[in-house]
Amino acid sequence: MTAHILSRMISAEFLKLRKRRSLFWWSLILCCVTVPVVYAVLAVLHLSDAAHYGPAGGAENLGHSLEALALLGGIAGVMIGATAGAGDIGAGVFRDLVATGRSRLALFGVRLPGALALFVPLMVAGLAIATVCSILLAGSLANPSATLVLHYAAWLLVATTLPLILALGMASLLGSRTITVGVLLGWQLAAAPILGHLDFLGRIRDGISVLATDRLLPVTGGRGGDVAASMPLAVALVVIAVWAAVALGAGAWRTRTMDA
Amino acid sequence: MTTLPLRGDHGAFAIETHGLTKRFGARAAVDSVDLRVPTGCAFGFLGPNGAGKTTLIRTVLGLTPASAGTVSILGLPQPDHRVAALAQVGAIVEEPRFHRHLTGRENLTVAAAVRGPEAEGRIEAVLERVGLGNRAAERVGAYSMGMRQRLGIARCLLSDPALLILDEPMNGVDPAGIHELRRMFRDLVDEGRTVFLSSHLLDEIEKTCDAVAIVDQGRLITQGLMSEVAGPVKNTVVIGCDDPERARILLGNHRAVRGVTAAAGRLHVQLVSGNDAAAAVNRTLVEAGLAVFHVEPERVSLEDRFLEITSRLGVAS
Repeated sequence: MTAHILSRMISAEFLKLRKRRSLFWWSLILCCVTVPVVYAVLAVLHLSDAAHYGPAGGAENLGHSLEALALLGGIAGVMIGATAGAGDIGAGVFRDLVATGRSRLALFGVRLPGALALFVPLMVAGLAIATVCSILLAGSLANPSATLVLHYAAWLLVATTLPLILALGMASLLGSRTITVGVLLGWQLAAAPILGHLDFLGRIRDGISVLATDRLLPVTGGRGGDVAASMPLAVALVVIAVWAAVALGAGAWRTRTMDA
Repeated sequence: MTTLPLRGDHGAFAIETHGLTKRFGARAAVDSVDLRVPTGCAFGFLGPNGAGKTTLIRTVLGLTPASAGTVSILGLPQPDHRVAALAQVGAIVEEPRFHRHLTGRENLTVAAAVRGPEAEGRIEAVLERVGLGNRAAERVGAYSMGMRQRLGIARCLLSDPALLILDEPMNGVDPAGIHELRRMFRDLVDEGRTVFLSSHLLDEIEKTCDAVAIVDQGRLITQGLMSEVAGPVKNTVVIGCDDPERARILLGNHRAVRGVTAAAGRLHVQLVSGNDAAAAVNRTLVEAGLAVFHVEPERVSLEDRFLEITSRLGVAS
């Protein structure tokens, strides 16, 4: 398969996702609209009562806003990943693509870059908006340094791209977007944080994907709390890699072996 | 009735299977089928609903693995030469499905991306060919079933295929559309392509195809040229005249006649030979003062043949 065909297939995956209006607009709202709205509310509060409400911007508030963005971006990532994984199967066109003779692994392989082509620009835009807001609205607070912003950017992309990868793999495995979104949002928003607080699980909690990604935060906090803070960096990276590999491996296996 | 001519450049059958079997548990949906589809013709694949037509197509295309047997497409053994073979094949399996949120043109763009750069260059031409040029910017969700069938054929043509495999392509198409499709299939054959039409619509297969195979309960019942499976009954004519009873008596002892039966006001006359005997019979009736207003070779339709075969199977089972 030539690079040209590969790039065209990725473009086609991107087209399929971008043209889903509800998916695109909800992802845009989650990634790029919610955070500036929160900044605007905080700015209004600060202007109305500066004694009680500090400036909306600054380095610390950037951290808070990006943690919120990670949560919302993760939801967008799950939606996009699940749609990329199960879109062809759900529409019934998977068999037509297989009947072209193109490798099933190639059909699976282009889903991830196609999904990232839609998702990453949205996340980068969200990060940029949050950073600009934190600087413009810093007031008397310290501005975030370039190093801090870059560190946050790296963490944010990992923390939101991992759910996308998990969703893509699971949707390819199950062939269902709805079930995938339900299960993964339940995991991301409820199950993982609860498990993280069960002390009797000890270091077993290092295997929780959400806690592993929070280990990459520039500052202690997030949903990972003390568990993430005490997790060795190498362990966190391995955990993230294993989750991604298992999800993609399962999706690729199912795509290769399923009846079309 | 299994000797089919080879045509085209491949020097092989467009599709050839030996002992092809597909089982789902204990049930054989396709049961040891030896199918041979000649190149360069319209080939009808006929069978009642649930006969195993779609399962056979899916197995041939490698969408589901065969339980036993071999498959060759355009002379290329499968699955070893799957990529090379399917690059020359356009297929619709069951009803044509699309991304409903994309336009017709965008759906073809997605399909062409998988096929390769040549396919992308054919998008506008194939849309025009199937009559969707002016509707290509509409979302497929708004298309009628007939339009989706035509878009499915357009998708097949993206690869400039030597072989088209079309599963029930007439479903949901109005009479005018069916007429257009029939003409298109013949044009595709005239271009040297093989068109494999799976259908349960006997009339459409008979009007469109050069050769036919009949399948039932997963088994191939018969295959051959259309003229062999259906068509004129050798040395038999149907005669209509103003006094059938007198004509029957006159022809009962005629030297050119082997037998006469009357049905629905017509005489079915078995002749000892071909045209000369028919002319002699006609002359006899006219000279006897009868008004002959109908003489034609008796034909057995594909429907007659199909019902004969399937009812025989029904009795057997």
